[in-house]
Amino acid sequence: MSTAAPTTTPGALGSADRLGPAAALLRRRGLAKLLLLAVAAAVLVPLVQAKWSGAAWPGALTVDVSGPLGKTSDWIINNRDSHWLFVYFLGHLSNAVVISVRAVYLLLLALGWTGVTAGLTLLAWRVAGLRIAATALVSFLVSGLLGMWIPTMQTLALMVVAVAASVAVGALLGLAAGLSDRLFRILRPVLDTMQVLPAFAYLLPVVLVFGIGVPAALLATVVYAAPPMARLTALGLRGADAGVLEAASSLGATGRQRLLTARLPLARKELLLGVNQTIMMALSMVVIASMIGAAGLGDRVYQALASVDVGSALAAAIPIVLLAIVMDRTTAAAGERLGANTGATGPTWLRGWPAWAGIAVLTAAFALAGRLAGSAVWPSGATVAIARPVNDFKEWMVGHLYSGVPVVGGTADWAAHFTNWVLNPLRNGLTALPWYGVLLVVAALAWLIGTWRTALTAVLAMAAIGVLGVWNPSMDTLSQVLAALVVTLALGFGIGILAAGSKRFEALLRPVLDVMQTMPQFVYLIPVVALFAVGRAPAVAAAVVYALPAVIRITTQGLRQVDPAAMESARSLGATRWQTLRQVQLPLARPALLLAVNQGVVLVLAVVIIGGLVGGGALGYDVVTGLSTGNLALGLVSGVAIVCLGLMLDRVTQPTERRTTGKGA
Amino acid sequence: MATTSVGASDVPNPRKNDGNSRNSNNTDTAANGGPDERPVVFSVRHLWKVFGPKADRIPDDADAAGLSAQELREKTGCTAAVRDVSFDVHKGEVFVVMGLSGSGKSTLVRCLTRLIEPTSGKLEMDGEDVRAMDRGALRELRRRRAAMVFQHFGLLPHRSVVDNVAYGLEIQGMGKAKRREKAAEMVDKVGLAGLEKRRPGQLSGGQQQRVGLARALAVDPEVLLFDEPFSALDPLIRRDMQEEVVRLHREEGRTMVFITHDLAEALRVGDRIALMRDGRIVQLGTPEEIVGSPADDYVRDFVRDVPREQVLTVRRAMRPAEDGEDGDGPALAPDTLISDAIETVARTGGPVRVVDGTRCLGIVDHACLLNVVARLQGPQHDEHGEVAA
Repeated sequence: MSTAAPTTTPGALGSADRLGPAAALLRRRGLAKLLLLAVAAAVLVPLVQAKWSGAAWPGALTVDVSGPLGKTSDWIINNRDSHWLFVYFLGHLSNAVVISVRAVYLLLLALGWTGVTAGLTLLAWRVAGLRIAATALVSFLVSGLLGMWIPTMQTLALMVVAVAASVAVGALLGLAAGLSDRLFRILRPVLDTMQVLPAFAYLLPVVLVFGIGVPAALLATVVYAAPPMARLTALGLRGADAGVLEAASSLGATGRQRLLTARLPLARKELLLGVNQTIMMALSMVVIASMIGAAGLGDRVYQALASVDVGSALAAAIPIVLLAIVMDRTTAAAGERLGANTGATGPTWLRGWPAWAGIAVLTAAFALAGRLAGSAVWPSGATVAIARPVNDFKEWMVGHLYSGVPVVGGTADWAAHFTNWVLNPLRNGLTALPWYGVLLVVAALAWLIGTWRTALTAVLAMAAIGVLGVWNPSMDTLSQVLAALVVTLALGFGIGILAAGSKRFEALLRPVLDVMQTMPQFVYLIPVVALFAVGRAPAVAAAVVYALPAVIRITTQGLRQVDPAAMESARSLGATRWQTLRQVQLPLARPALLLAVNQGVVLVLAVVIIGGLVGGGALGYDVVTGLSTGNLALGLVSGVAIVCLGLMLDRVTQPTERRTTGKGA
Repeated sequence: MATTSVGASDVPNPRKNDGNSRNSNNTDTAANGGPDERPVVFSVRHLWKVFGPKADRIPDDADAAGLSAQELREKTGCTAAVRDVSFDVHKGEVFVVMGLSGSGKSTLVRCLTRLIEPTSGKLEMDGEDVRAMDRGALRELRRRRAAMVFQHFGLLPHRSVVDNVAYGLEIQGMGKAKRREKAAEMVDKVGLAGLEKRRPGQLSGGQQQRVGLARALAVDPEVLLFDEPFSALDPLIRRDMQEEVVRLHREEGRTMVFITHDLAEALRVGDRIALMRDGRIVQLGTPEEIVGSPADDYVRDFVRDVPREQVLTVRRAMRPAEDGEDGDGPALAPDTLISDAIETVARTGGPVRVVDGTRCLGIVDHACLLNVVARLQGPQHDEHGEVAA
């Protein structure tokens, strides 16, 4: 430390240089943080090492929660019919859910396939236009042809009730948070955190309270799907143009008038976006909730995956994807129509209540026609069984593509290599790393990218995993997440940069990304199982494919939004394309790239966990086992570990927002 | 001479005069000479608006009163947007508040209907204490007596033009058919006939502001408040809109309070102008007073580039008549603009008499007029624009 750096410019600058390297070090925020951590580590590590040696989380520091959890579970099961909490509240709730889902399902059945198809096609046409109506029509016909009419109706009935409940709950919460600052400050971090948690984490708590069945599935869906609605409602109400609100006040509007005539209508775009996101999240969850008693398409996929019957899984997955696309496009188009600010188009009889009445009449007519023709349920003769040919194709793939293909090797070989050379070393490395080492790395990363608060949350979350006694499976899951993340980011940034550079490439990419982003997580498992069989590698592959579209999108947008003046000035100085990219675009797009990393982590984790269904093992598998064997304690502990892991990964990659507001270094 | 006192218009405003001569609807002719005897609409006395911690202490603090805006912020952490402002707005006049951004003019106009709550001072409308009103009374005031036009229009993007115009009436609780009918009338009046069904997003900036104007007019308010209404518009459209406001004022004689940072706009539309700086009114007077007799260096700097011949009248240019000059020859009224006088003098080629009725007030010739344009104060000219005969 005593050797001062040689001063090249003596004189006025000399005094600044004479401060020495220590001060220079301190001026760099990142280095100062690392230095502080290193000092803390130097003091603490020997102490910890002396007390609890070994790499794994010390047994003395764990708390066995399976006993109390088991007792709670038993208590709930014993008291479900007698305790007032169940009799007067949860029981009614569960009955209401069952009755309403049943009612919607019966209504759909009563309408028959003719009525449902006609009604929903007309609805899509009214709300979103001709093209999307055609998509809807084809989608329902395909569902019928695949022999999936009944499961589709079951899923649809669940969706109708779940979306209605989620939108209502979300809108009410959002309204409250939009109008009250204090509530907003409380709710916002909660909602933000809920959005990063994998769907699997929600399954166990509701099963604990309601048992396996439709109420549990529906409530898990509502809890999972309501946050985006609440968030967007609150943000929309808060973002309403202050000038318009002031104009309303200046005309003497009461608070109520202002809310109903100005504030809510101004937020209508966000509200519709919230409905759209809620629908997509609900569909994703309704499918996954088949594991806790939701019937329908998801259940078919789940059963088929359990017996690695790719053909049947695909037959059920196609209607899911089509349903997702129709719902997404319909609500998105409705939002765009509102945003365009044009008046209604078309002749007057197509607008307002006559149009709605027309839709109702036509639907009834089609339903009646179907009844009279005697085909309320999809005619059983008119189906195409695709399971057999798909399975034959898969057998062919197993025979010809899995291994032994000259030069490139087979897909199963790839999976094996990936497992042996990447996943295993990574997992072994993580488990061999002393636990305090992991905590230190987490703290350093989170502090460098974010603030001391995010670092503290991340470290605490990680420590909680250790305390719960699921350190090793968590390290296993973490290794899969990290491997998938690296692949996702490499591919995502690469493709994103290419797409930002070429308009044509982006135009080709866009429809693919659109479809990929609307598909529920569950569906991604089917093709990877077909290609790579079961194991950890397919789970990672599914995670990569699932997270890729979002990463590509954010990267492309971030690069595109770089100030064109900065790019132009670089080019005017004679920078090459590579120089412009490296020195101007990437540094200026840094916030977007960090966001891409954050999103990538969250999405990868969600699917790696679901990968427990296809041999991914670790935490996801523990949840599945816990559910299927009735060992709620195991499942719940794993669920909490998933929450902690999600929290940690999100906080570690959460960029700081402080620098824009502070006074600077 | 520039004070915040109840300004009396010694010197008639050329624009105003022009209006009266063309339109006899406007019976308020008190602007021509003598103190303004029209009833007072807004009476503002020692009004303060202070933002910041313990804001209510600042107005009574004798020490704070002497501080500049910068010193006040450093010492107390407060920002005084409006500082001890007093003025009256008379019925039928266009009262302009002008200042650069941050001078407090927008805050001041919002204080008038308590869209921003004043910190202290007295505020009366038609003799009623506005600051003492409860919420219901205040709402009634905003609904029926004072309507505002905003810089960024504040239109509802999801409603058609006619529904935007009817919005104020809807808030009053008027039935749909009736308010639509009235709104359609207003749309016609501001020259937007045929665009009733469009959405604001489909209109140009000038058209949007016409919608904003129509919305304010639809409630038939006693006073129109304009908050920099044309700042966001292109210069040519701005000109159009200013003429629209002048026309409306001529036809209806409605009281207007007009906020602007554009001096040319202030001179074009204003009967009286209050010039604000750092929350205070530094000068209040007619356009001619502001341009002809700036109160201090700040105002002088402000009006330096104004084409004086288009604001000042021959009253300010004339010299006493010398022997024999007050006889025959061409004559001008005392409130003729210098630019018009230049034309007459150039055409006649000699001195021209300034005549009020039958009395000869003085003489203008090439030299006098040039002196005014060139900003030289002629030796004959005294402070009040009157010439010792």
